[in-house]
Amino acid sequence: MTATAYPPRWAEALLRAFLKPGDFESVSGDLLEQYRDSIYPARGRRRADWWYARQMFAFVSPGARFFAALFSAQFLTRTALDWFVPLLDFHTRSTVSTVLGVGTLLAAGFYAAWRSDSFATGAIAGVVTAGLASVTSITGAAGMLAIWHDPQTMTAIRGSGGLDEIFCLPLMMVFPGLLLGAGGGVACTALKSLLFLAKSR
Amino acid sequence: MAEILGAFEQAVLLAILRLGEDAYGRAILKEVQARLEREVAAGAVHATLERLARKGLVVSRLGPGTPVRSGRARRFYRVQTKGVRALNDARATVEGLWQGLRWPLRGCV
Repeated sequence: MTATAYPPRWAEALLRAFLKPGDFESVSGDLLEQYRDSIYPARGRRRADWWYARQMFAFVSPGARFFAALFSAQFLTRTALDWFVPLLDFHTRSTVSTVLGVGTLLAAGFYAAWRSDSFATGAIAGVVTAGLASVTSITGAAGMLAIWHDPQTMTAIRGSGGLDEIFCLPLMMVFPGLLLGAGGGVACTALKSLLFLAKSR
Repeated sequence: MAEILGAFEQAVLLAILRLGEDAYGRAILKEVQARLEREVAAGAVHATLERLARKGLVVSRLGPGTPVRSGRARRFYRVQTKGVRALNDARATVEGLWQGLRWPLRGCV
């Protein structure tokens, strides 16, 4: 029974996307062996699948976690500035934070594609980065709101886009994360091709 | 200059030495978990093995799979001379640090 059990396909697909082609077989084999040998018999299908997803995440997330932390730090810094140093015109501040956010997601896609030799990984990295960042950003903003909700701060929040923007904008970044991550992946693939051509001359 | 090893890197290198010819990913993970007496993520061991290989402390080769892995290949590791030297240095450093002190330490010194 357990010798034929398989972990979730989506998790294996993500693992394949994030690992270097030469590493996928041995790493997925190790995980499959542990899944069938000890985890599935002891914990049953659902908990074994959950275990596999967590293991997979440990493989794919080191890069994404760094960029997600960077992305949410930018978001929370911008939020804090809007609350405590409000401006009449947010144009410059918005431009700077947009450029930084776009750069971070492009870099996440580029880094993942560089590690895995697959531009598709860049798109996945963009989504994972934006998804992780949205969770930490929303949690961080909720924490800030729990501490600072005096009338003056609430007026500043309303003046800078309101609570809707604070709690919805991070979630809305997941789709741009896909596009920008893919962009980073394409840029990486192009750079690698150029480097290969230059070396082979 | 001698390679400075972290505690987890030492645990992984020693696991490879103990396992000898059978030192592949899953076996190394089990050995490290048993020695450290705690759960360790496979990803952490894999990242460490990758780092050790980059530093030239271990080499790897692909070997045959088994039915429980659906035939997927196993990556076997071997510690290089540089890795053995780094382990010896790490041990000597710790022993040097402890020289003159009685273990276990008691109370305030």
